[in-house]
Amino acid sequence: MKIKKALLKDTFKEIKKSYKRFISILLMALLGVGFFAGLRASSPDMIDSIDIYYKNQNVYDIEVMSTLGLTNSDIEALSNIENVENVYGTYSRDGLIKTNDKEIVSKILCVDDVNKPVLVEGSMPENIDECVVEKDFLEGTGKKIGDSIDIEPEKTEQTGTTDEEGTEYLKNKTLKIVGVVESPLYISRERGSTKLGTGVIDYYIYVNRENINSEVYTEIYITLKNAEKYQTGSNKYEDYVEETKEKIEEIKEERENARYQELIDEANAEIAKAEEEFNTEKQKGEAELQDAENKINEGKTQIESGEAQITSNERTANQKFENAESQIESAKTEVAKNALRLNNEKIEAEKGFEEAENQKAGLQSTLENINNAIKIADNSIAEKQAQLETADTEEEINAINQEIAKLQATKQVYETNKQSIEAGITEIDNQIASGRQELQNAEAQINSARAEIQNQEATLERTKNNTYAQIANAKKELEASKQEIENAEVELENARAEFNTKIQEAEGKLIDAREKVSEIEKAKWYILDRQQNAGYSSYIQDTESIENLSVVFPIVFFAIAALVSLTSMTRMVEEERQEIGTLKALGYNKFHIMLKYLVYSSLACIIGGIIGMNIGFQLLPRIIWDMYEMMYTLPEFIVSFNHQYSSIGLGLIYICIVGATLYTILKEVKETPATLLRPKAPKYGKRVLLERVTFIWKRLKFSHKVTVRNIFRYKKRFLMTIIGIMGCTSLILAGFGIKDSISSILPNQYEDICHYDMLVSLKTALTTEQKDNYVEELKQKEDIQEVVETFMESGTAGKDNRETVQIVVPSDNKEIDKMIKLRDVKTKEPFTLSEEGIIITDKLAELINAKVGDMVKVTTADDVEKEIKVVGITENYISHYVYMSKELYQQVFGETYSTNVLLIQDNNLNEEQEKAIMQEMVAKNEVSTVTLTTTTMKTLDDTMNSLNYVVVVLIISAGLLAFVVLYNLSNINIGERIRELATIKVLGFYDREVYDYVTRETLILTIIGILLGLVGGYFLNFYILGTCEINILRFEKVIYPISYVYAAAITIVFSIIVNIVTYFTLKKIDMIGSLKSVE
Amino acid sequence: MSYIEFKNVCKEYKMGEIIIKALNNTNFSIEKGELVVVVGPSGAGKTTALNILGGMDSVTSGDVIVDGKNVAKLKNKALIKYRREDIGFVFQFYNLVQNLTAIENVELATQICKDSLNPDEVMEKVGLADRKKNFPSQLSGGEQQRVAIARAIAKNPKLLLCDEPTGALDYKTGKQILKLLQDTARKEKMTVIIITHNAAIAPMADKIIRFKNGTAESIESNQNPIPVENIEW
Repeated sequence: MKIKKALLKDTFKEIKKSYKRFISILLMALLGVGFFAGLRASSPDMIDSIDIYYKNQNVYDIEVMSTLGLTNSDIEALSNIENVENVYGTYSRDGLIKTNDKEIVSKILCVDDVNKPVLVEGSMPENIDECVVEKDFLEGTGKKIGDSIDIEPEKTEQTGTTDEEGTEYLKNKTLKIVGVVESPLYISRERGSTKLGTGVIDYYIYVNRENINSEVYTEIYITLKNAEKYQTGSNKYEDYVEETKEKIEEIKEERENARYQELIDEANAEIAKAEEEFNTEKQKGEAELQDAENKINEGKTQIESGEAQITSNERTANQKFENAESQIESAKTEVAKNALRLNNEKIEAEKGFEEAENQKAGLQSTLENINNAIKIADNSIAEKQAQLETADTEEEINAINQEIAKLQATKQVYETNKQSIEAGITEIDNQIASGRQELQNAEAQINSARAEIQNQEATLERTKNNTYAQIANAKKELEASKQEIENAEVELENARAEFNTKIQEAEGKLIDAREKVSEIEKAKWYILDRQQNAGYSSYIQDTESIENLSVVFPIVFFAIAALVSLTSMTRMVEEERQEIGTLKALGYNKFHIMLKYLVYSSLACIIGGIIGMNIGFQLLPRIIWDMYEMMYTLPEFIVSFNHQYSSIGLGLIYICIVGATLYTILKEVKETPATLLRPKAPKYGKRVLLERVTFIWKRLKFSHKVTVRNIFRYKKRFLMTIIGIMGCTSLILAGFGIKDSISSILPNQYEDICHYDMLVSLKTALTTEQKDNYVEELKQKEDIQEVVETFMESGTAGKDNRETVQIVVPSDNKEIDKMIKLRDVKTKEPFTLSEEGIIITDKLAELINAKVGDMVKVTTADDVEKEIKVVGITENYISHYVYMSKELYQQVFGETYSTNVLLIQDNNLNEEQEKAIMQEMVAKNEVSTVTLTTTTMKTLDDTMNSLNYVVVVLIISAGLLAFVVLYNLSNINIGERIRELATIKVLGFYDREVYDYVTRETLILTIIGILLGLVGGYFLNFYILGTCEINILRFEKVIYPISYVYAAAITIVFSIIVNIVTYFTLKKIDMIGSLKSVE
Repeated sequence: MSYIEFKNVCKEYKMGEIIIKALNNTNFSIEKGELVVVVGPSGAGKTTALNILGGMDSVTSGDVIVDGKNVAKLKNKALIKYRREDIGFVFQFYNLVQNLTAIENVELATQICKDSLNPDEVMEKVGLADRKKNFPSQLSGGEQQRVAIARAIAKNPKLLLCDEPTGALDYKTGKQILKLLQDTARKEKMTVIIITHNAAIAPMADKIIRFKNGTAESIESNQNPIPVENIEW
């Protein structure tokens, strides 16, 4: 069919003339296709990016792990399977790195030809003392390239085999960081769990393969032939992998048994060797012990004879000394006897002396008396002689002489007495003197005898001392030898005991080893593919949720695009009714007439669509990737032109727009030329329902009546405007709603649910006492308000599908309430832990589809799995938790309970003060790590801020949508009512009045649209949140009141912009031109 | 000085590169209360002159004095005010607002004027008191034109400008409309200008202005205007 040139020319002229309409259709197509294609392509672009990444890094298709490790024969067996291209045996193990008093758990991987890490900075580990780390490692530890780290690999591998005594998994444990890499195995932040440290792997590091010292491979990675033909994650790829997995499944049992047998043989051989060694060692030890015993016995005999000698010597000496002593003693007795006798004699003598003295004194007093008598006689004589002188008479003289003679005689007698007395006195004196002399002599004799005895005694003492000293020395010597022997005996005893324990130990070991051999479980192979990789699978899941999202949004756009073009084209066709009639009258057929409009709308549609898809493909996937980049590390995001979605998008918009055109034009061309040439009967004015409600109607201003009537007159436009505005408001509100939901997560979690400011992980080796002391110490601190002890470990929970959870077992079921609020989501009713069962967090319950009363499988960090009843579902926003009471934990897992985490509430410290305390704590021996809630919040906040992009995207798209719709509608409105508007202008309406006349309707419709949009947005928000919810976060489906205000305000701003444009369009209306034409 | 004066008015349109002179040095004057009929062939410039007079179009050069005001020099807003207060327009195609009833169409005009007449009275005057609540689509052509006239005169304008008011009407109805206009001019002492290509009705006017080639070729005063009902064509 030949297309008439004139018609085509007419088409282009039409475009030029009505460029506004053309552009508005073009814009609708642009937005529709752009959004559709862009959003739809985001998910494939993300998959493309990971696909190319994985292909470039030669990432495995199938992974084989075994509980007993894997060997070269396994590799060989796997290599022979159909479709297997390469089989790589490789190693990985968890290790503990200590830096700045922090314990970090790292996955130690080795650089291989499979799953090649991407070098970001520095170089790969060429030597065994080098390693490369991930970027976060440097940020987390403050290390730089060139720094060294010390790593302590876990002693036991996950495979269940133990390192041989003395061998280390790493040849070199001090490693120099030489570069930064990104691992295709860890594209998300998830690093898996471990039995070390806190139970969570923090980072991965790569070492040189040569540094690893292991007999068995921990993993075997398999790449498949021609796998590059399929896109990762696609059904074809998965089928292909599944097919090969099934083939591996076939050799699985054989290999498992082989490995089991190998291990058993190896172990038995080792046991035999050990037994032999044990026996030789035992014999040797026993001989040595015997030897020592003999020697001791010999020594003992010698000591015994020595002892006898000393005893006899001692006895002889004692005898001698006794004799000597008895002699001395008898001498002493003799002397004493003599002395005593002497003494008695002396006393006797003294008595004699005294008697003699008394006699003497008697004699002397007699003598005196005599002397006196003499004197008296003398005196009497003298007197008588004097008397003689005087005496005259002879008689007298005679008498006197006689008397004198008598006196003389008496005196003579006295004199003679006196002499004899005097002799008696002298006699007595002599007797006393000689007696005394005698006594003195006897005394001297005794004294000399005594001196003699003393001499003898001294000599004896000396001899005795010498002899005894000699004996004592001999005894001491003997004692020393005895002690020696005794020591030797103890030593021997010890040695024997030691020997016995050693023997027992060795025997025990042998028994253990034998037991272990019998205990060696059958090897179990795990045949995995990429879907079991946490990062990969959540990435693929996320692409799915984007895909879901990309279905809804474009629908809104397509619907509106279709409506807008429908009205636009209807208007256009109506405007050109006469032309159509003329052409028809001239004899053009339907097709030719329709062609103009079809070409017109097709051009607008295709041009808009192509521009749209180009912008969309570039822009939207990037924006979306910007968001996801926070969660995933991929070296490059690849944006490609997706032919499938571009053609679908264009096709859909083409159907909407051109279909709408076709619909209108077909209606017109069916009519006869005559009808067409006649002006179309104008839409009749009608009374509206409201007019019947006279009490309202009467009160309305005239201009308002007009508005009300107009609104109901143009129903199509009425709907269009409302739908357009509604869409716009909904999108904006949904945007803000997402933002609100996201931003409420942190306060909800850390202000309402978790009340601790610090989470302190304690070192594992602490005793209860150490812990108690430390807790007490912390409690004393002024800055610390509350400390609660608990046990925390990571594990999994679920029924069919598993989610990673933190298992929290508080030491006190009540205390924990101070730190973590367990409460019902809706009623906020608090829960208390009991032995009845576990309390799980709400998002977890949702994900694993568990209700109160259900049994849920809980696996601890040690891989112990138990089924426990759920007794409560608690409110929570970040991560998954399983709470259980101490009693239940012990009862179910049968493990001894010991706390490993302290939850601390401080006295409203600021961040810096908290950091200071944290440093202080970390320096302590008891503390492994300290996590500040503030820091956690900051990190999460950063991640969540990225989701603000969604809001921006929504607002911009909503704005564009609103603008296009309103602009288009306003154009149609003016176009349709140009005569009316020209008329009122002629009547003298001021510009402002004309504007009001037209836009008052738009305003009312806008308000209705906004109100409906707020309702729609509420639901749209829920829908979007539902599709893009992140696994570990629970979005509270909340929209803050202010967001409603924002959404309404932003929509109003957009409509004001459009109204300003309208204002100028109205001002420019050509009254004359508009009124000239026939209606 | 006349009530209305057209002095050396020129009006040029640019159609691409061609300049069309719609009015070429046109001069005429009209007295207050006159019923003027403007006749002439298509494209002679009648409508252009009327549009300029009605403040809907601008002049290229010259002056248009209406009641001492130079309309040609008015700025946009003043021009609207002039249209609003001083001018009543009646078109060939009535240009009623379809969505408004007859009386509402009149009200549309009266609500913006200060000295407007009572819409009900005006409706009565044009003989549509019993149809005033009808929508335009429910009225005949003649009735619609009456509404249009009612709308124009309800504003109580200084000038009533009618562009081919009978052009779309049959003979009889046309005559009735013309009578209405003539009566209005007489009774209300309103200055009415009617454009027509039908020279036959010229005798009804006080003044007849003949246009040809963009200028008022002749201006002739009619001392004895004939009532419309007596004119046959």
